[in-house]
Amino acid sequence: MRAFAAPYEDVWGPRRARIVAGVLALIFVIIVGRSAYVAFNGPNRSALPIAKAEVARRGDIIDRKGELLATTVQGKSLAVDPSAIWDSRDVVAGIRSVFPDLSEDALTALMSDKKRQFAWVRRGLTDEQVKALKDTGVEGLVFAEEPQRVYPNGKLAGHFLGYTSIDGVGLEGAERIYNDQLRKGGAPLQLTLDASVQFVLEEELERAYADFDMKGAVGIVLEVNTGAVRAIASWPAIDPSKRGEEGNDAKTNRALNARMELGSIYKPLTVAAALEAGVLKPTDMFDTSKPVKIGAVTVRDLHPLPHATTVSVTDILAYSSNIGAADIAQRMGPVTQKTFLAKVGLLGGQPAVGPQWASPLVPAQWDATAMATVAYGHGLSVSPMAFVMTYLPFANGGEYLLPSFVEPVDPAKVERKRVMSAQTAATVLDMMRMTVLEGSGKNAEARGYEVAGKTGTAEKPTPNGYDPDRNITSFAAIFPASRPQYVVLVVLDEAQPRTGTQRTAAFTAAAIAGKVIARAAPLLDVRPVLEATATRAALPGADAAEARAQ
Amino acid sequence: MKRLAIIGGLVVAALAVAVYRAKLGAEDTQGRIEDLKAQVADEEKAIAGLRADEAVLTRPERIGGIAQQQLGLAPANPSQYTAAEALKQKLGEERTRLPAPGQPPETILPTPDPVKP
Repeated sequence: MRAFAAPYEDVWGPRRARIVAGVLALIFVIIVGRSAYVAFNGPNRSALPIAKAEVARRGDIIDRKGELLATTVQGKSLAVDPSAIWDSRDVVAGIRSVFPDLSEDALTALMSDKKRQFAWVRRGLTDEQVKALKDTGVEGLVFAEEPQRVYPNGKLAGHFLGYTSIDGVGLEGAERIYNDQLRKGGAPLQLTLDASVQFVLEEELERAYADFDMKGAVGIVLEVNTGAVRAIASWPAIDPSKRGEEGNDAKTNRALNARMELGSIYKPLTVAAALEAGVLKPTDMFDTSKPVKIGAVTVRDLHPLPHATTVSVTDILAYSSNIGAADIAQRMGPVTQKTFLAKVGLLGGQPAVGPQWASPLVPAQWDATAMATVAYGHGLSVSPMAFVMTYLPFANGGEYLLPSFVEPVDPAKVERKRVMSAQTAATVLDMMRMTVLEGSGKNAEARGYEVAGKTGTAEKPTPNGYDPDRNITSFAAIFPASRPQYVVLVVLDEAQPRTGTQRTAAFTAAAIAGKVIARAAPLLDVRPVLEATATRAALPGADAAEARAQ
Repeated sequence: MKRLAIIGGLVVAALAVAVYRAKLGAEDTQGRIEDLKAQVADEEKAIAGLRADEAVLTRPERIGGIAQQQLGLAPANPSQYTAAEALKQKLGEERTRLPAPGQPPETILPTPDPVKP
């Protein structure tokens, strides 16, 4: 009873209250602690990608003056969401109204796959195509933004630039060769090309087609002291934005990847090799009046030279005597000839990096027959790129150097190899100047720019021998002769004049080279020389020629 | 002692708030930086597009055509070059036919007096 009478005394009350308060405090501390931890150590909002660092924008390609040759812009591509399409026939019709080349069946099949929420239809749309598609008003079209490689100059340098896949991976040309560098983005890739000179070269090759029905053409312009390639063109040209859709004739970059027997433009090399070997003096005279049999071949001159019994070395080049060239080769022999041609890179050898060119096709046996034919440019097939390098020593005092395709080009760091004396180079250069002033290269003369050069006409080899109806005509030039700055090579493949019958290099490639030089020289800051700087009297063999004339 | 604990607690709380605000501020700044970076990237894309447009508009075949058709310009001709010494003489000849600066076109400069010995 006492228990009922006595007022209730809850002896556990305070203790329980403390326990509850303690638990609550603990929970509070845990919540606050956790909140503080999250607040101070939680994920950084800014670290959450807004648009997860984009893949580096593919680098631009520019010319030596900064002109844009290739760039990447944001473009639009067309995709569809099949799961959101109710009536696929409308969508297919709408898309085909803009892209009639797309297969109706393939599009219908694509739209019918309702499990898919995204499928590409056409990538790399033009603004006009986007507008036309939007104007159709059909459902389910997705315009996805993505980087798009563009070539603002269209076909300009198309072969050399090459192209990328739709996903921006370099597939051909500079886009492929320098793919790793371009994919990193950053500074643009600056080529040694000069867009203006490239344009002139390509336009003259294009115009050549108006005069000659031809299968292909090549043009190259090189700076003589550095080997910097200022222009390199292969005709027919390609548009890089078409990603290799052109026909087979246009696909090959003939400047680098074609091999040709280039004919008499080899003769200056024959003369230089013999001069270097000490078996030829510039004043020596030759009898080219009769065909000469060397090895298994009988060498003839298609157009016998005037005064063929006393022909100077200069005239052998100026009037392109096969007999004279073969005679000179015979003096030095095949080993010396082969060694010299190897020195100037015609028997192989490629730079470790950068654009490569086709390896040569050399004679199986370098015997007397090969020696005689190679002397005037037959029997040895090389790429135009490999050949044009051989004229650099004539222009720069005797040094062979590899081409440079990318700026900056430091003349002090360019690898040089002496392949002939400065005297030999100057002597042969004078002879080539005379070839343009008085010989087969007259049509290459560009007033004020002292063109020196050599024509080459070579019938094309076939399994059954040489074809008299199809030839390669070429002209290799150096200008200005008194202070050489550039080497130019023009090669025409099966050039057939549309009017007239002359289809030798004197009337085809030489004329094109002259036009290229006349237009390119001012763009290359070459000042014209208006007074004549070469005369026959100044050349070796002049005395004999004069005596002969009298 | 009790007061000290309360003050200490308040100080700790204040510091925690300050740190939290600093962190929030840093995050906001970082966010703004990211926004600006995105804007820069957008601008760069726009610039790339404009440069491509410019390259299209200034390509040699287009400029050459316009220069020829609308301005009557043509590629430089070797006869248009002259040596610096010859230029001096040529300029002298030209000056005798050109008006003096600021003068109407019909005013012709007198031929310079010959140098007296």
